[in-house]
Amino acid sequence: MSNKLNLIQAVTQALDNELELDKSVVVYGEDVGVEGGVFRATVGLREKYGETRVFDSPLAESAIVGSAIGMAINGLKPVVELQFMGFSYPAFNQIISHVARMRNRSRGRFNLPMVIRAPYGGGIRALEHHSESTEAMYAHIPGLKVVIPSTPYDAKGLLIAAIRDPDPVLFLEPKRIYRAFKQDVPIEDYELPIGKAKLVQEGEDVTIVTWGAMVRDVQKAVEIVSEKDVHPEVLDLRTISPMDRDAIVDSVKKTGRIIVVHEAPKSFGVGAEIVALVNEKAFLYLEAPPTRVTGFDTIFPLARGEHHYIPTPERIASSILDVVKF
Amino acid sequence: MHLEDYNPLDNTMYQIMDKSGEIVKSEDMPSFTDEELLYLYKTMLYVRIIDERALSYQRQGRMLTYAPNTGQEAAQIGSAYAMEKGDFLVPAFRELGAWLVRGVPLKNIYLYWYGNEWGSHMPDDVNVLPVSVPIGSQFQHAVGIGMANNIKGENNVAVAYVGDGGTSHGDFHEGLNFASVFKAPVVFIIQNNQYAISVPRKNQTASETLAQKAIAYGMPGILVDGNDIFAMYAATKEAIKRARNGEGPTLIEAYTYRFGPHTTSDDPTKYREDEEVESWRDKDPVVRFKNFLLNKGLINEEWEENIKKELDTKVVATFEDIEKNSVYEVDDIFKYHYATMPPHLEEQLNEYKVFLQGGKNHVK
Amino acid sequence: MKYEYRFPDIGEGIHEGTIIKWLVDIGDNVNEGDSIAEVETDKVTTEIPTPKSGKVLELMADAGDVINVGEVFITIDTSGEADETEAQVDENEEIVEEETAGVVGEVIVSSEEIPPSTEGIVSTKKAVNKKKILATPVARALAKDLGVDINEVIGTGPGGRVMKEDIRNFKDSLSEIEEPKSKVDEVSSDFVKLEEEVSKGESITRVPLTRIRKTIAEKMTQSRFTIPHTTAMDEIDVSKLDDFRKKYKSILKEEDVNLTYLPFIIKAAITALKILPEFNASLDEENNELILKHFYHIGIATDTERGLMVPVIRNVDRKSIVELAKAIVDLGTRAKENKIDLSELKGSTFSITNYGSIGGYYGIPIINYPESAILGLGRVVKKPIVRDDEIVIAKILPVSLSYDHRIIDGASGARFLNILRELLTDPELLLLKS
Repeated sequence: MSNKLNLIQAVTQALDNELELDKSVVVYGEDVGVEGGVFRATVGLREKYGETRVFDSPLAESAIVGSAIGMAINGLKPVVELQFMGFSYPAFNQIISHVARMRNRSRGRFNLPMVIRAPYGGGIRALEHHSESTEAMYAHIPGLKVVIPSTPYDAKGLLIAAIRDPDPVLFLEPKRIYRAFKQDVPIEDYELPIGKAKLVQEGEDVTIVTWGAMVRDVQKAVEIVSEKDVHPEVLDLRTISPMDRDAIVDSVKKTGRIIVVHEAPKSFGVGAEIVALVNEKAFLYLEAPPTRVTGFDTIFPLARGEHHYIPTPERIASSILDVVKF
Repeated sequence: MHLEDYNPLDNTMYQIMDKSGEIVKSEDMPSFTDEELLYLYKTMLYVRIIDERALSYQRQGRMLTYAPNTGQEAAQIGSAYAMEKGDFLVPAFRELGAWLVRGVPLKNIYLYWYGNEWGSHMPDDVNVLPVSVPIGSQFQHAVGIGMANNIKGENNVAVAYVGDGGTSHGDFHEGLNFASVFKAPVVFIIQNNQYAISVPRKNQTASETLAQKAIAYGMPGILVDGNDIFAMYAATKEAIKRARNGEGPTLIEAYTYRFGPHTTSDDPTKYREDEEVESWRDKDPVVRFKNFLLNKGLINEEWEENIKKELDTKVVATFEDIEKNSVYEVDDIFKYHYATMPPHLEEQLNEYKVFLQGGKNHVK
Repeated sequence: MKYEYRFPDIGEGIHEGTIIKWLVDIGDNVNEGDSIAEVETDKVTTEIPTPKSGKVLELMADAGDVINVGEVFITIDTSGEADETEAQVDENEEIVEEETAGVVGEVIVSSEEIPPSTEGIVSTKKAVNKKKILATPVARALAKDLGVDINEVIGTGPGGRVMKEDIRNFKDSLSEIEEPKSKVDEVSSDFVKLEEEVSKGESITRVPLTRIRKTIAEKMTQSRFTIPHTTAMDEIDVSKLDDFRKKYKSILKEEDVNLTYLPFIIKAAITALKILPEFNASLDEENNELILKHFYHIGIATDTERGLMVPVIRNVDRKSIVELAKAIVDLGTRAKENKIDLSELKGSTFSITNYGSIGGYYGIPIINYPESAILGLGRVVKKPIVRDDEIVIAKILPVSLSYDHRIIDGASGARFLNILRELLTDPELLLLKS
């Protein structure tokens, strides 16, 4: 049986599913309990599961994550919410110094099956700090997993998988598409594999790797170029770290060309890692230089300049044609 | 004793045994058996010997940087002894006495300072978290442990340690705040040994005492003579009782002194006077406890000599075993980042192994 | 024009409101910013201003009614005001059902549906089996520069990688087969004039050159313009040779050997090459050295459908006439059937072109650069000659020997032909001397 959900509702359903199934799951963060989250991700959960398991916390991101560490050590599965990725930085110390390291530091004696959720990415004409996409910084940390869904179906399946994962997961939700569309989502329990990309569209001319809200923009760009008889293959990465390297390499070996599309700033981003990977593993198959279509190496502009920053379908389509005609 | 009776703003220090080993607050004197008293004293001697040996090995180039505990034995041992089975110890990095009391094998301790992660792999029944290098950050872990106990309806308590320097850190404050709001069963212990490396306590904060910071967070705070093992025990025990009863966290400031350097890479003569160090000698926690035991007729010099020899032999044997037999497996560097090693780590490990075995263009 | 004002989400996370009272009536003129209604929501009671100036056309709800965010609740006639598409009309496609909270910014809300996930669905589309050429970007660039289609090149590098060497060798060879390109090459200005000159009614056909033709053209040009060609001609009486040949032809046919003149000619040529080594050489212009080759690989020019190919018989001096005969047939057949290997088209030290098999008497063959000479054979004809002061009918083989006049003088050319003539006129002598 199915229901039509948008991404935020899929998140809620995933949380509901796991809170029901596993008594050790607890959900907390700022405004998560009574209000149900500023984006309404946790609506109804406090009423259903009680305030022992779904509750509000003081305004202290470092403590939210730090206490989750302690909870995980002591046998619970905390799923904490950081209100915006831009506010994850106070918790960065706890994340890089402890969340990602506890298992290795203790050679497996202490493990952290915890999830940190945060809305991420731009495109909602918000204030400064509410449009961050610094997934590359977190992906660079060994011991942490970073997951970014692009559809409601994927969001539910990946969040359930993240909560069940014995390793700590940073679950970034592209807020621009929280409510932009709905999709059939099974009402039952299901998991999607973390660490596996998804083939969104098959093609032969060029491989496009992307994730999050950009998947839709890439699909629009693909429509534009298909009228010129260009057929890209589109991969939705879904997990940034650990990355599905095989899927990327296999696809590039087939098409000989690759474009990475991401919102985040260009330099030192996830795109750079993918380009390095492709050069290492598919060098002899390349027929054009690996290319990135990304945000600029600038701070995300405020609302009036926002539309310049995020790659548009037109910008992506132009790049596709450049690469294919190389 | 009742924690609520103590107002940290009074600037009074809680003490049971004075610096000469006399009991000045007999009504709070813990009811230890003779065995217990001897065990506590032996542990203090053990700490000193472990430190001395470690220092010596370090100077010989056989041990890496080491943080000695001299002067803080009572603060560590007294407080930790108040904990019960199942309680969690959340250390900073200078808690040797507490580790020993809570069952951490010396081998683990030495392995850690020797540079091998297996030192932090505690036995299954030892609920002691690894050393926390980012100062103060461990407070929040203790809070989480406590919150989980509440959620699960269990009875355990988390005891967290920090130094005077750590009380300036944001995580210290966030941790205390969180713990209070959620009435987490946590005991926060500040080992105020008067120095954060070279920065003296008075430059760390403008507050008169560290204990009074508890007031801001709505929890009891108490300033304790950190060199008085009985006072440390009693205060911690009371705080633990409070926590276990669901009354929430407590902040204990253990007023003590760091006789040695911050670590073996530190030279305290650069920032403090010998007179000051000497002035603390007569407050030495081990000496006063020894006097107490001598007065009680429970020990004599011969006993002490024998015990010291015994402990020293054990320490030397442990260290030599580590030196000779401990291994550092290359695989271990990769194996423990995730529950299952992901393909890219496998690949990197294999590539490296190929290099080690003499790969294609191998350069030695 | 009619402006439909949809009840806005005033950013408090509301999804509906109740109209307490209208502050305007139908027909009223309103200016942008004027309050038009008092509305109560979960959180506040507030006045809603109009974003447009104009005349109130319709009020879609009564006081006391509940209106949903995104629902049209008033229309205004804005004629006279510049048309603008309101951003909010785009954003709210239909009635919004859930709250649009977010505390900052605007999260787009839409009930648009996307197709269900294709997770786990196995692709039915067959993989396109495009042959993958392994090559470094530098090699690919070289191929592009040399006008070589890298997909045609066989790679000899690790894992079958196409190396730069392979690309260069491919370029040098004459025998890669390819379909004519449909793309027409660029024209030079002369040809433009040609087209312009072609008067009405006259037509031309443009035939794109095949790869082989292009290669041949390049090689011929290079040879002719580098080597100063001279051709010496002669007629050789092969009557005795013919008798000899015919005597053994039927016997050898049983062994499946077709004995033509060519094996004999090759043998005679080898003898001549050994005596006159400058005919089996190459001139190294850069170093001003003559490279004398002590091995004898003979290229036999062969006409095929795709054009001229020159398969090579290697170490001809070590082969018997019968073996040569077999080799000639084998190579010729395979060349015509395009079953010949690249390596068999390379490495000749001296070439023979037998245009006589098709027709033709004398020729001025072009040397197979970088060799130093080429022997052309015309067709054998019966001719009256003078032998022993008598007119007899003899079988005459016309030969044309082109050679590089930089390194071979006329005297040598004559000598070469003398040797040939001597040996081919008398097969017993050929047997003794070869």
